[in-house]
Amino acid sequence: MKLKEKLGLGGTMPRPTSAPAPVAEREIDLRHEEDEALVRRSQRGESAAFDVLVERYKERLYATVYHMTSNHEDANDLVQDTFIKAYKSLQSFRGQSSFYTWVYRIAVNRTINFVKRRKNRNQYSLDDLDSSIQSDPDLVEMQSHATPRREVGLNELQEKLNDALQKLSESHRAVVTLHDVQGMTHADIAKVMSCSEGTVRSRLFYARQQLQGLLSEYL
Amino acid sequence: MDCKKTQQLFDDLTHERLAPVVAAQVRQHLADCTDCRVVEQRTGRLQRLLALKRYERPAPEYFDNFLSEFHGRLLTEARRIGWWERALGRVDDFLAAESMRVWRYSFTSALGVAAVVGLAWMGLLQSTDPSFVAIDPAVAASSSLADADAMLPPPHSTPSTIVASLPSRLPVASADYQPASMGNVVLVSTSAHADSSAPRYVLDHLSVAPASYDVPSVHF
Repeated sequence: MKLKEKLGLGGTMPRPTSAPAPVAEREIDLRHEEDEALVRRSQRGESAAFDVLVERYKERLYATVYHMTSNHEDANDLVQDTFIKAYKSLQSFRGQSSFYTWVYRIAVNRTINFVKRRKNRNQYSLDDLDSSIQSDPDLVEMQSHATPRREVGLNELQEKLNDALQKLSESHRAVVTLHDVQGMTHADIAKVMSCSEGTVRSRLFYARQQLQGLLSEYL
Repeated sequence: MDCKKTQQLFDDLTHERLAPVVAAQVRQHLADCTDCRVVEQRTGRLQRLLALKRYERPAPEYFDNFLSEFHGRLLTEARRIGWWERALGRVDDFLAAESMRVWRYSFTSALGVAAVVGLAWMGLLQSTDPSFVAIDPAVAASSSLADADAMLPPPHSTPSTIVASLPSRLPVASADYQPASMGNVVLVSTSAHADSSAPRYVLDHLSVAPASYDVPSVHF
C-alpha cells in the first residue's frame, strides 16, 4: 500500500460512486460504527475509519500505559507507537479477538518491554489530579478513617501510590493496573496478556500482598 | 477450600461472578476464618485506594492534537523505513498474526535447526576442500617443515656456497645479497647434524655488544 493511501491523501483510495459526503459528515457516520466494521474499512484503505478507532481508544490506552510507567511523556510516546504498530499490522489482524483486546495487547506488551529496558531510570512525570477527587467517597472515607495517615496530603498520596506500583514486577503491575485501576475483568486481562485466568488471579493475589505491605500506613 | 484459594476468589465474589456452590463455599470459609476476613477488608481498602489513581489525568486539551501527531509520526515512519526493515516488519507481522501464534515457536525452532545444519554443512565443506587442508594444525606443521627442508641448503655446505645458492632457492632474492649484508648473522652448517638432520643456523659473531639488563648507575 502506498504512503499516500496509508495516510488517506488520495491516490487509489476507494471512493463512493455517488457524490462524496463532506469529511466531517462521513466521520460522524463512522463514529457510530462498530469496531469490526471500522477495522474492515481500515483494512480496505479508509484511513478515516482508523482515525475513529484511534479517537475511541486513545484515552483508555493512555491511562493504562500511564499507570504502568508513571511518566506522562513515555505514556504519550508508547500510545503513539502502539497505534502506529496497530495500523501497520492491520492487514494481519484476522478478527479472532476484538480490536480492543488486540490493541491493548500491543500496548501492554510494548509497555512491559519498555519498562524492563528503563528499569534503572525511574523518572516520574505525573499528571495532575482531577479536582473532583476531593469529593470522591472513598477518599473522604479514607481521610475520616482512623488510619495512621489520617491527614493524608493528596500529592503525597499520589506519589506513594506511584512509588508502590513501580516497585512491582512488570507483569504484576500490568495486572493491577488493568484490574484495580482500569476495572477490566479477569477474562479480558487474560486475553490481553495471553495467559490463563488462573495466572491473572495468581498475579493479582501476589501483587496485592506486596502492595498491602508497601501501603500499609494508608490501609 | 483453603485460605489462598479463597483470597483469589474475593474479586469474583464481590462482582457476583461465582457459581452459587463456589460462592457458598467462599462465604462459609470467610465466616470461619478470621485471617481471611481481615485480608478481605484490607483488599477492599487497597482497591479503593488504587482506584484514586483514576483521577490522575492529563489536561483536557491534551488529546486535541493526538490524531495529528499520530499522522505526523506515521508519515515520518514511512519515510524513514528502509526496504529491509519493511521486509522484517512483514515477517514480524506474519509471526504475530493470531493464526500463526500456535506455529510461532515451531517456526523459530525450525529456523534455529536450519542455522545449525547450515553451519555444520559449511564446516564439512571446508574440511573436504583441498585449499583448506593446511588449516589442520598437524598437517600445517608437517607441511611447513617440508617446505623449510626444501629451502634449506644441502648438507656439508660452506657459508659461501650457501649464500651463492640463496638467490635461486629463496622465494625472495636480492641481487646485491652478500654475506656482509647479513649483519651479525652467518649461516653455517653444524657437523653434529650433518647427516641426520637439517643444518642449524647459529649466531657466529656479534658486531655489537649485547644489551645489558643492568640499570646504568648515574654518578653526580
